[in-house]
Order: sequence, then structure tokens, then C-alpha cells
Amino acid sequence: MEPDPAAPMLEMRGITKRFPGVVANDGVDLSVLPGQVHTLLGENGAGKSTLMKILYGLYQPDEGSIELRGEPVTITSPSDAIERGIGMIHQHFMLVPTLTVAENVALGLGGRHGLSDMNPVKERLADVSDRYGLRVDPDAYIWQLAVGERQRAEILKALYRDASLLVLDEPTAVLTPPEVDELFATLRQLTDDGRGLVFISHKLHEVMELSDEITVLRHGKVSGRTRPSEASRESLAEMMVGRAVELTRTVDQQTAGAPQLRVSELDVIGDRGNLAVKSLDLEVCSGEIVGVAGVSGNGQRELAEAMFGLRPIERGHVQIGDERTSAPTPRQVRSMGLAYVPEERMRDGAVADFTVAENLMLVDYNTPTYSAGGFLKRQRIADRCRELVGNYRVKTPDIDTPTRNLSGGNIQKVVIAREFSSDATAFVVAQPTRGVDIGAAEYIHERLLEQRANGAAILLISEDLDEVMQLSDRIIVLLEGEVMGELTRDEFDVNTIGLLMSGVTSASPA
Amino acid sequence: MWSDFFTVSVFVATLASGIRLATPFLLAALGEAVGQRSGVLNLGVEGVMLIGAFAAYFTKLKTESTVLAVLVALGVGAVMGLIYAFVTVIMQAAQGISGIGIYLFGLGFTDLLFQKQVGTPQPIPKLAKVEIPLLSDIPWIGEIFFQHNLLVYLAFLLVPVAWFMINKTTFGLNIRAVGETPEAADTLGVSVNLTRTFTIVIGNTMAGLAGAALALEVGIFQQNLTAGQGFIAIALVYFGAWRPVGVMSGALLFGIVSATVLTLKTLGIVEGAASSLLAMAPAILTIVVLVVVSRRIAAPAALTRPFDRAAS
Amino acid sequence: MRIRTTPKTAVALVAGLALVAGACGSDDDSSDSADDAEEAVDEAEETLDSVADEAEEAVDTAVDDTEEATENSAAEETDEAAGDGETIRVGIVAPSASNDLAFTQSMVDSVERVEAERDLEVAITDGTFVVEDAAAAIRGYAEDGFDLVIAHGSQYGGPLEEIAPDFPEVSFAWGTSVDTFGLDNVYAYTTNADLGGYVNGVMAAQLTESDVIGVVGPVEVGDAKLYVDGFSNGVAATNPDVTVNVNYIESFSDVALASEAATSLVANGADILTGTAQMVVGATGVATESGLPWFGTQSNQTPLGEDIVVASQVYHWEIVLNQMLDSLEGGTLGGETYTLTFENGGLEMEYNDAFELDEAVRASADEAVAGLTDGSLTTGVTE
Repeated sequence: MEPDPAAPMLEMRGITKRFPGVVANDGVDLSVLPGQVHTLLGENGAGKSTLMKILYGLYQPDEGSIELRGEPVTITSPSDAIERGIGMIHQHFMLVPTLTVAENVALGLGGRHGLSDMNPVKERLADVSDRYGLRVDPDAYIWQLAVGERQRAEILKALYRDASLLVLDEPTAVLTPPEVDELFATLRQLTDDGRGLVFISHKLHEVMELSDEITVLRHGKVSGRTRPSEASRESLAEMMVGRAVELTRTVDQQTAGAPQLRVSELDVIGDRGNLAVKSLDLEVCSGEIVGVAGVSGNGQRELAEAMFGLRPIERGHVQIGDERTSAPTPRQVRSMGLAYVPEERMRDGAVADFTVAENLMLVDYNTPTYSAGGFLKRQRIADRCRELVGNYRVKTPDIDTPTRNLSGGNIQKVVIAREFSSDATAFVVAQPTRGVDIGAAEYIHERLLEQRANGAAILLISEDLDEVMQLSDRIIVLLEGEVMGELTRDEFDVNTIGLLMSGVTSASPA
Repeated sequence: MWSDFFTVSVFVATLASGIRLATPFLLAALGEAVGQRSGVLNLGVEGVMLIGAFAAYFTKLKTESTVLAVLVALGVGAVMGLIYAFVTVIMQAAQGISGIGIYLFGLGFTDLLFQKQVGTPQPIPKLAKVEIPLLSDIPWIGEIFFQHNLLVYLAFLLVPVAWFMINKTTFGLNIRAVGETPEAADTLGVSVNLTRTFTIVIGNTMAGLAGAALALEVGIFQQNLTAGQGFIAIALVYFGAWRPVGVMSGALLFGIVSATVLTLKTLGIVEGAASSLLAMAPAILTIVVLVVVSRRIAAPAALTRPFDRAAS
Repeated sequence: MRIRTTPKTAVALVAGLALVAGACGSDDDSSDSADDAEEAVDEAEETLDSVADEAEEAVDTAVDDTEEATENSAAEETDEAAGDGETIRVGIVAPSASNDLAFTQSMVDSVERVEAERDLEVAITDGTFVVEDAAAAIRGYAEDGFDLVIAHGSQYGGPLEEIAPDFPEVSFAWGTSVDTFGLDNVYAYTTNADLGGYVNGVMAAQLTESDVIGVVGPVEVGDAKLYVDGFSNGVAATNPDVTVNVNYIESFSDVALASEAATSLVANGADILTGTAQMVVGATGVATESGLPWFGTQSNQTPLGEDIVVASQVYHWEIVLNQMLDSLEGGTLGGETYTLTFENGGLEMEYNDAFELDEAVRASADEAVAGLTDGSLTTGVTE
């Protein structure tokens, strides 16, 4: 590669892409220089993915032009993009779990006489691995690999194809903080080689740390261009959302009350028959938020589902207030005072085809207030739903709109409105702001703290470490279904938690 | 009585019979396995077998050419493959129900053609046995393995061919990727639809060949000649955990157990109700092994899932 | 005569296309395959309902085109029917193809012979090896006002017992069976298949040189069992040293299995073969290949092996059909059981002229037929 630092390697001009009823990209310009990290920042639905799919040949733009190294190009397919030196690191890894690392790398490359001989692939792969310190066993099957290793395989796939322009879509979402540091070191090495990187993220501190240039998208348009030296996290957030956003919330100290939610010696079996939660104890007092941190897949989902009766408990029990159960059912734990905001809101939290009103009434519809003799009291339900939609600022045309037509943030507000308006005394809240825009996330955080102030006991399960650290009074770190450590507010520290998440306890030498 | 069964000649004849019975299953199941590895379930195997069987029978009846009969069966199988590919890959129709449609079509279409073009069952010469020089002279082994018609040899030769294709060629790598994670294959420039179209055509061509093997072995055609063999072939794909050697083991097990049951009845060792129960042995055994195997090995993750780039 | 090749031909064909088309048509915004499948089934069912009739007509037309002679006579009869109103309408539901050279064809041929003499309008639904399809067809004929509905298969007893009481004006018949369920609008008909079996056995016992004879049977019930038992007794009565190996393959349709069963019988010494039911075409192939004599039953099976078929016991259902129709015209709708025998001419031995049968053997067969006809000889088979 002969990088000319001044000439952009990628120039996208005036890209417009329309889908029925929505303009996903509206005259977007993006210019990437060799040796630079160019961040694409924006909320969900701002148009980042569409723009990158256009670059990768998965979509064709309706308007606009693309130039690669000064030459106008039409990218017709992913293989076309690959040939032109574009590599994509997808957020949801595009790896075939039942193939080996080498086979994944070789996929689509063809082979001598149509044979898939892995030996030359492994040799070249070893060279690339060594050069960038991306260690991964070429003969290992993808399903055997940890998340960080899978990401290295994904990056190797692009580098093996000699990609000079790499797009990384939310690459840090699944990584522990130490893994993020390692990834950033690799990325720096790539730019030192003269490659250009497009980095997609919504984690502002990462953006500030890694970027050379930043382009912010909002509603399909470029809402700002800047660089870290000229920006702050607040200014970036404002460009993303379109108004000032309070990023660092000061949480009042509050004295916790009596234990309200308790889990003792809990064993839960996971989907693959493994022990996903192992002999777990935890306690949440009233007026307290306990955060559960950990890389996804370490028992968080199984813990929440077991507590709420959606997954059988192997051993141990759940206690809410004075009542305990070792074989909970959802109706039973609700009557005991537990409410649940599930991680998969469209699967477990709301029925997509139901109207907003129906989803709001899913829990209470059969109480005497809203039904009699098997018939629903329509008027009273409508009044109640309008009140909730107003109070929780759900943006919906009306309460009879099918829930699937709402944005992610508003669907989450429907779920939160239903759960928080119950008279529950304890809450399990999982990934409350995942995929939710900053404005809605801010609002949901307020509501969580309001419940805390009202004396609720809240177990907050989140992969967003910033969120957990910001809201929690205490944090427990889960690794492979076990509590690796517990920290109180004055002990919170990204590095400590990150190390615990990756299995390094404070007792071990750092 | 049982002592009759444990004589070498009975044993040898039974195993040879099992291999003959296994042949149509093996051909159909190998083809179906290739299709399923790429993520396409074809429940229409039975219908395509019928079409292949009729095509081979009718061609042989009219032209007396075995080569032509086999070629026509392969051809109509391939055409059925193109139709099924159009329906499930291009139109993205639900695979289960489309396959049943193909089955019903094959059942009705062959019966109609048979009634209009042939009328009453007219026998055709059975496919001649070809004794492989030297090998067929080996005591026992020769009679079991090397005194069959050419389609039997072809079926078993296709096992290593299929294995090689799936595991050692780039096309096979594409098949495995497309059947597991089509999105990943797509992002690397592997055409999911083209790969699946190829595997569907391969699978249906082999189903057509399986039908030809059946019709030319029994030397006749009649309504519903296959009598459910295509569906058993699909079960054998699961039984064999989508691997050619596994599929072959399943087909052989099914064939040999069926042949053993026949031998036991011929020798009068089992009679009456016991014989009725024993007739179910191949099916029961298959189900039992299926349960054990399916707990161990997962199906291709994208099986029955049409690929739509826009949705991914 | 109109052969309704529904449901297994036209409807299967149409259903197949409809399902495929339906599956394609349901490709809207939904990515949920379960939804798709459901929609497809719904659509297909609707399409099926609407096109089944058309298809039926289309197939009828096709049949008519190719069978001009039949068409003409049927048309004449229909005209007559319109004239005097005496035409009896007969609907037949049968499990296998009309040309199976076995059970179903025996009935179809018989009906053709009756039609030549009587004023009948006949419709046949063949290939209903699925009992539910047959039940639907039986009910359909009854609803369409047919005078006599024949359920030609012992497996159809269950549905018939349910359907018959709903149509007291319609006469039903089923076989092979002797059970009228105590209903006065159900006839039962059966065949003493053991008679021809016995005669075949007498001949086979004299032809065998290895003293081993092989029999391929379907399931050990009904006329298949009668035939096989009669055959065994005929062999035993003629030469007690001959072994009869019987192989019931537990299927009426698996030709491949019938073929292997015959192969297995031959491998174990059989030099004469016989068998019954529609899957025996697999066994006759083995007999042809090995050049072994074959004894047939149900229909004249000579076309299956010009060189090897010795004789066939042929069912003449027209005997029981005529008995039923006479009774029907007399105002009786059922309650009787009719049986095919040598005596009433319902059973007949037909010989293959191309097979050089020893005169003495033929004579012994004729003698057996005579004895079984006048009752001086019995097969020793009891049901």
C-alpha cells in the first residue's frame, strides 16, 4: 500500500437511500483518509447501517456517488466490495459456527481446482495473525471460541482479503474493557499500516479515545462533523439527539431499607443443558438498585428468567418480602410483588401485534377494576391507558395503534409504564436501554431512580457498564453464572469491574 | 428353524437383498442430505422418485434402452429440482408445504400418465446384474457386494463422492456455510441462492435416479410405486446426521433389517402376529436411532429458512 | 362408464400445484415461516375446493376422449336414463388403480360386463388407499343421489358403518366381508378365494421339482388369507412332501419389498411362486427373471408374465352385482351377504395358453374345480 495521506481513500457523496415510508440516508457525505479512524456516530435508526450496507454492496443508493482512491465506483455486491479492498466487521459476527476459523476465512475465495485445501490458507493466516497479534487457533471451530476470539477471527477474515478500508460496526459491544483495550491497540496498528477505518459506535468515551474524525448522523442526515480535540461527550450527544442531554447523572445517596428481594443458592440450567447460574446468592434492599455487570451470556438472562418463573429453578429459592418460593410462576411472583422488564422486549415484554392499550393491560386485565364476569371494562381501560401513555411520554398516534409500529424506545416505555405502574415492591430490570435512543434512555433512567426513591428494590441487569455504574448502589459481577465480586458505590472503577468480568479477581496478581 | 437362518448361504442372500433394498433409499437420501446441508428441506422426494421411476419405466418400455431410461430419469429429476428451486429459493415459499405439494403432484401426475400412456402394468426387463470380475468370485463377499446391477454400485460409489464434495471442495464449503449461516456466506460473496439452487437440483436429480433404480429393479411401474420410500429417505438423512456415511449406514441398516425380516418369514421362523410386529422393525429401529442421534448432532441451523438479504 | 380418477390423481395433481402456488403466493411481509405455511395451507385448500370439480371434469373429458367407445355407450345410457328413469346409478370406491390387474381391476372389469346387459350409470373413484379419502368419496356418492354405493375394500367397513345410517334411501355394499352391521341398507360381498387357491395349489404341487413353493402375501386378512390358506391346503392334499413358504410382507403397496420377498423365497428353494394383492407385480418380475411358474389370482395376470403365468383365479363380481341389483330392483336395499364361488360362476379359472401345461395336471385341476363346484370336495379353509 502506498498511502497518500492527503487523498481520501473513500469518498461517499450525497448518498440518499429511501425505503417505503422512510428516508434512511438523505444526502450523506463521508470521507475517509488512509491511516485514520473515522467514526460514524448516531442513534439506532440514524442511518449508519444503511450507509455501510451501501458501501458493502448490499444496497444500491438511490442517489449519490462513491469514489474509492479517487475512482468513481459502483459496488454491486459484497464480493465486489471485497475485491475493492473493503472489509466489514459486523456487529453480529458473520461467522459460520460449525466451520473452523480457517474455513470461515477461506469461504468464498475459491480454491485450486475447486478444492478447499486448508493448508495454504492456514499458512497465510498465520502470517497475518502474527503481524497484528490476532491470536486464534485456525483449526478451532467458531462455536468453541470465546467472544473476543470470534471477533479476532472476524477481523482476520477481512485482513486475509487484504482489506485496506475496514468498517467496524459496534465492535466493542460484546467485549470486556480489557478486550476493548486490546482491540484498540490492534486498530491503531492497522491505521499505522495506512489502512482506513470506519468505526461505528454510540459509546461516547470510546469515540473520543479512538477517533481521528467524527461524522454524526441524525434521522438519516449528517448533523455534525468534528474531531475529538474540538468536541466533548456532551457536544457529541447533542449532535446525536438534537438537544442537550444530561450524561452524568448525580445519584443522591440514599439509605437502603430492609432486604426486599433475595435469591439463595440458586442453580439454573441454561439452554444447552449447562449450569448457567451456579449457587448464586444476592439480596436487594428496598430503596436500592443493585447492578449486575458481566459480558453477555454469563448467566444474566437465565437468572432473570428463573427469578420470574420463566425458567425452572434447579436448586435454591427466590424470596420477595416475606414470601419465598422454589418453583415460581410468573403470576405467583407478580402477586408476591415482583415486576419484570425483560431483556427481549419484543419477545417477552410485549406482543407486537397487540395494540398499545392491550399491551399496557396484559397484567391487570383480569382484576376486578378492569373486568367483570369475563368482560373487559372498555371505558375504564381506555382511560387508564391514556393516562399511562401521557405519564410515560409514549409517542404513539393513539392507544389502539399496533405496538409493532412504535420505535424501540417507545415500546420499551410501554413495557416500563405497565411494570412501573403496578404496585410491585421489587423489580428485575434487564437491559432497559439497549437499542433505545439517548432521549428515551435518559427518561427511563429517571423513572428507575424515581422507583428507587419510592422504596423499590431493583435488580438492574445490563451489559452497558456506564449505565450500571451510573445508577447502581452496589454492583455484582457475574462470570459463568457465579458472582466474581461485589462492589459498593465508592469502589466503582471501570478497570476493576473489567478485570472481574474477565475473571481476574482482586486476590489474583494483576 | 433358527439354525436355518444361521447358515452362510441364507446370511449372504439376506445381506445382498438388504443392499438391493437400501439402494433407492441411499440415492434419495444422499441427494436430500446435500440439499439439507445447504438449508433446504425437500419433502417432495417421494414425488420426484415417482416421476423418475415412471420416466425410467416408460422410456425403457418404449425404447428398450436402459441408458436412455436412466438419463431421462436424471433429466426429469433435474427439471423438478429447478421447479422446486424456483419455488423455494426465488419465490421464498415455505419449504415444508411446497415439498408436500411436489409429492402430491408427483403422485397424481405419474398415475395420470401411467393410466393414459400405459394402461395396465406391463413388465419391463429387470436391470441386469453385473458381476465384477475377480471381486465377485470372492466367497460370500462376492455375492453380497459384487453381484448387483450397475445402479447399486453407483449408489454406493456416490457416498464417497458426496463426502468429498461436501468436505473437500470449495462448493462443499459454500454448501455448509449457506446451510448454517447464509448471512455470513452472503457477506463473503457466496451466492446463497445459486448454491441452494445447485444443491436442490443435485438432490432432485438423485431422487429421480432413486426412482429409476427402483423401477428398473422391480421391472414394473404402478400407482404409488415408491410406497413411502421417499419419506423414509428423509428420515434417513436425519438418522445419518446429514453425513453421507451416516446416511449410508442408515439406508443399509433399514435395508438389511427389512431383508432379515423377509428371510425370517420365508423360513417360517416367525409367523402371525409376531411377523406383523417384526415388519415394523425397520421403522422402529430407525426412530430409536434417530432419537439418539438427534440428541447428539444438530441440524443445519438455517434448515427450512429462506434467505432474504433485506431481512438480515 | 366414468372413472373418477379423483382423489388420487386429479386432486393430488391439483393439490400439489395449489400447495406450491399457495406457498409462493403467501410471500408477503411476514418472515414467520409458520404463518407462511398456514396461509399456504389455507390458500391451497380454498384453491383445491374450487378447482377440484373442474379438474374432475377435465379428467373425465380426457378419459372420454381416449375411450370413445365407452363414452358413446355411456352417453346412450344417460339418454335412456333421462327417458324412462329406470337407470340405476352405481358409485364405486376402490383402493388401488383401476388397472392394477388385481383387486380393483377385478371389480372394474365386472362392472363393465354388467353394464353391457343392464341399464346402469357407473362412476368409479379409484386409488383411495387412504381410508379418509374413501370415506369422503362414499359420502359424496350418497349425497349425489346414487342408488348403490360400493365400497370395494375390507378396510372401508368402519366408515361405511357410520355413513350408511345417514342415507336410509341409498343402498351400500362393501367387501370383502360377510358383515352387514345389521343394517338393512348394507350388502356385504365376499369371495371364497380359497377355492381357486386350492386349485392353483393342486397344480403347483405337481409342477414343483424342488418340493418348495413360495407365496407372497400382503397382510394376513380377507381374501388374501383365504387364497393363501386354500393354496397351502391344495398343495398339501396333492403332495404332502411339498413345503409352502408364505411371506406376508405386511403391505399392499410395497412393490420393492414384494420383489425381495420373492427373491428370498427363491433363494430358499422355491421353484414355483404365487401371491395375491396389487404389490405382487414385484414378485411376478422375479418369477419372470428366474423363469419360474406363477399362479395368479383376482384378475387374469397373464400380461404380467406371458411365459410364466400358468393360471389365474378370476373374480367375476358381476355375479354378486347382478344379485344385488336384482334385489335392489325388488325394493330391498341391503341386509344380505353374497359370495363368489365356482358354483355360482363368480370364480373362474383362466389359463395361459402360452404356458405348456401338462395335460394330466390340467385334468387334475378341472377335477378339483368340479369337486369344489358340486361340493364333493372342500378346501378345508374355515374363516
